[in-house]
Amino acid sequence: MSRERNPLLTLFAIGVYGFLFAPVVVLIVFSFNNARRGLAWRGFTFDWYPTLFSNDELLDALWITLQVAAVAVLLSTVLGSLLGLGLARIRFRGRAATETLLLVPMVTPEIVMGLSLLLFFLQLFDGRGSVAQLWVAHTTFCISYVAVVVRARAANMNPALEEAARDLGASAWGAFRYVTLPLIAPAVLAGGLLAFSLSFDDYVVTTFNAGVGSSTLPLYIYSKVKFGVTPEINAISTIVVALTALAILAAWRLGAFGREGRTIVAEEDAPPT
Amino acid sequence: MARLRGAALVLPGVTWLVLFFVVPLAIIFVVSLGQRGAFDRVDLSSPNFNNYARAFDPIFLPTFVNSLRYAAITTILSLAIGYPIAYWISRYGGRRKALLLILVMLPFWTSYLIRTYSWMIILRDNGVLNSLLQAVGLTHEPLILMNTDVSVILGMTYGFLPFAILPLFVSIDRLDSNLLAAGRDLYASGRAVFLHVTLPLTMPGVIAASLLTFIPAIGDFVTPDLLGGPQTTTIAKNIQELFLEGRDWPYGAALGFILMVVTLGGTLVALRTLRREVVGS
Amino acid sequence: MSERYDGSTIDLEKALVRYMVERQLSRRELLERIARVGSAAALAPIIAACTGASTPSPAASASAAPPSTGAGPTPSPSATPVPSPEAELFIFNWTDYLAEEVIESFEAKYKTKVTQSFFSNTEEAYAKLGTDGGGYDLSFPISVDVPTFIESGAIVKLDKSLLPNIKNLGTEWSDPGYDPGNAYSVPYMWWTTGVGYDSAKITDELTSSKALWDPRWAQHISMLDDFQEVFGLALIQLGYSANTDKAAELDEALVLLKQQKPLVRTYSTDTIATLTSGDVWIGHIWGADRFAIQEVNENVLYYIPEEGGVKGSDTVAVFSGAKHPIAAHLFIDHILDAENSAANTNLIYYMGPNAAAKEFIDPAILEDPTINPDQEIVDKLEELLNLAPALRDEYLKRWQELRG
Repeated sequence: MSRERNPLLTLFAIGVYGFLFAPVVVLIVFSFNNARRGLAWRGFTFDWYPTLFSNDELLDALWITLQVAAVAVLLSTVLGSLLGLGLARIRFRGRAATETLLLVPMVTPEIVMGLSLLLFFLQLFDGRGSVAQLWVAHTTFCISYVAVVVRARAANMNPALEEAARDLGASAWGAFRYVTLPLIAPAVLAGGLLAFSLSFDDYVVTTFNAGVGSSTLPLYIYSKVKFGVTPEINAISTIVVALTALAILAAWRLGAFGREGRTIVAEEDAPPT
Repeated sequence: MARLRGAALVLPGVTWLVLFFVVPLAIIFVVSLGQRGAFDRVDLSSPNFNNYARAFDPIFLPTFVNSLRYAAITTILSLAIGYPIAYWISRYGGRRKALLLILVMLPFWTSYLIRTYSWMIILRDNGVLNSLLQAVGLTHEPLILMNTDVSVILGMTYGFLPFAILPLFVSIDRLDSNLLAAGRDLYASGRAVFLHVTLPLTMPGVIAASLLTFIPAIGDFVTPDLLGGPQTTTIAKNIQELFLEGRDWPYGAALGFILMVVTLGGTLVALRTLRREVVGS
Repeated sequence: MSERYDGSTIDLEKALVRYMVERQLSRRELLERIARVGSAAALAPIIAACTGASTPSPAASASAAPPSTGAGPTPSPSATPVPSPEAELFIFNWTDYLAEEVIESFEAKYKTKVTQSFFSNTEEAYAKLGTDGGGYDLSFPISVDVPTFIESGAIVKLDKSLLPNIKNLGTEWSDPGYDPGNAYSVPYMWWTTGVGYDSAKITDELTSSKALWDPRWAQHISMLDDFQEVFGLALIQLGYSANTDKAAELDEALVLLKQQKPLVRTYSTDTIATLTSGDVWIGHIWGADRFAIQEVNENVLYYIPEEGGVKGSDTVAVFSGAKHPIAAHLFIDHILDAENSAANTNLIYYMGPNAAAKEFIDPAILEDPTINPDQEIVDKLEELLNLAPALRDEYLKRWQELRG
């Protein structure tokens, strides 16, 4: 079954990607800016890349950021997906309350969330900021996003599918693993991607929950504003993007995304060939 | 049985949220009932709702309207841009769908501040955009784009676009092409197919995208702060200032809670009306 | 927030032993210390640790400790053994506010690992520091906030025996109003606030803060996003004190600022970005930022308004909850060293209070009258004080009305 190409739509798509990557291009260009600070272009230099590797504080901050993001993504996708799934398919008492509970973290101003966690850890655990506190904080604000996305996907799913699997002899876990999970997988993935972005860039909540030895990249960068952000930051962002792009390309070449995009399209939806 | 399973599924997530979100929030609520005391610490000797009464100050009306305005426009733009691109990825992405999605997210794994600086470089008076416009002859003088509503809305839409694209994609990708084909048989114009078949079927995605854009956008103060100017102050910035510059945590907390209740209330009402209109949600 | 300890019990004996073991002090060394600085000062950290409260009242310890500026009956610092510092030191700071070579030389000399955490504005930092330092040993509070830190018990009295380099301070810094005798803090850097402008775009020679109201440069003017600085500028221009408590004067300032608002492009403290971007031609900026901006655009000039201006300074202080107080003290001593202080000044372009450092500071900085003004100009400048909460509300209310 052929799908007529819509050139207008494709042009639009290119425009959107251009819009998305415009600041990235500028960012990369300015990583070669021959000026220690400021937003004016002063010529070309490679200098920022080597100095970046000897900047221990920056590298430590990057490491902490990635670590926290990894934990947050892991925990929030698990908890959020279960939450979204449960809300979408099954009616239970307290469902409306749970739905509302889901939305509240997104409504909460970041400073309120950040300070509330600061006080929580301080009063109950005498916590003065730590990586563990960041794991908890980041997971907490990511869960809602994952849940909302998974819920939307699961809402359209036919619950009869899972029941059919059970009727055919699958265990509860088996039905979940081989029927439900593949169907919501794209939503889980999408939620995970969103969670990673949220965690990676978080500033306000992190400010109040980081402690000694747990400075993240955003904290480091914002703190540099007072005396001028150096192009080292552009350089490290460029490297992160480049490495991620390479990793994705490698994964794709190795077939991680499946043939014919089948892991994305649900089996029941595959067009009859 | 189904009821039990539902509860079991949501239990871990709910427990986490109650423990690490509701409880801390309750602490802040208690703070909002207190007063700023000695050394700017919270004085809970006589809790009352005075701060809430104070917070209904007409000073905050313009900034609240700003926040509302920016959030609404950002959401509409994000949906308007996000839907077609999500559709395009789903229908024409083929093998590359996942790749294209990750490509949407890739710009956001750079640092937020640097991306914002980059927008400044693009939008400033002698920036990339103005130079381009003048080069092709569309304008003869630099347009003032930075530090205006334009730069704020552009920056916010940019930041929230992935939050719209991803849920929209997830919903659109589930569309049964058979249904679409049937729709095309039933309705003459492409637009009618879209309005009567595609859109209603992807409504959960649209709702999710709207939630993930509008709600956080109301609380966004960094983007309007960095890209905006004197007229673009948001209520979130007011709250921030009360906490930090004013060191009046109880008052800031009260204003924060009022904002949360208003936003949440409005959202829930909107959701309920929407759900009534849309079948099967 | 409730107090963590109620200060009711002090298990002095146990704490004393722990203190000595942690710091590898022999009984003899401890007694020598007490003889030199007085028991209250020497034992202050123990008492602080036990009660979680501030050190004994200044009155009591003042009688016990010799005045910091005078010469007490003390043997020269080198004669007594320096207690060994702890293995680590936690600093809460701006990035790039301490020269790397200064930190490295400290780490090499004392075998102590320095870990810095960062904040991007003082208000956030204070929220995190709370009443005992929030897990950090050392930070750089603004001078006018020091009295509050002292009163709330967040910072401890300094053990001057560990700070021999304090003699390097210029005489005008030895007894500041916010912290008599530098009992709790040591000045770090000071600065002025004024006006910076691009002389390539603005050819007039400017001397007044009224230039920021000039309609010729509408949409190319920036003001700091700091309510005290902005109101300070307006009040001084009107001839009032920058810390006034008279509502009528504040209202006048508000009117003046509202007149300015349509001309303003942005209210921002990121002056390096805004002034190098090209959109802003004249801005309300902090003195030292001008050097950073000049690195990119040498046409930028800075002046302190002829009507008068604002000056500020910050300090280094040790927190009551510090786990590594000795390392903290030794670090302060380290940055008071003339060469180290100069290294810091050369890095961040702020002037330090260190008289001995002057011979090592980059001459370009020393000769710059805007970074290092003559004393008579300095005397005209006003410091922004830590406003009482009710007064602060008055300022903030008008600020929010301005910004709305």
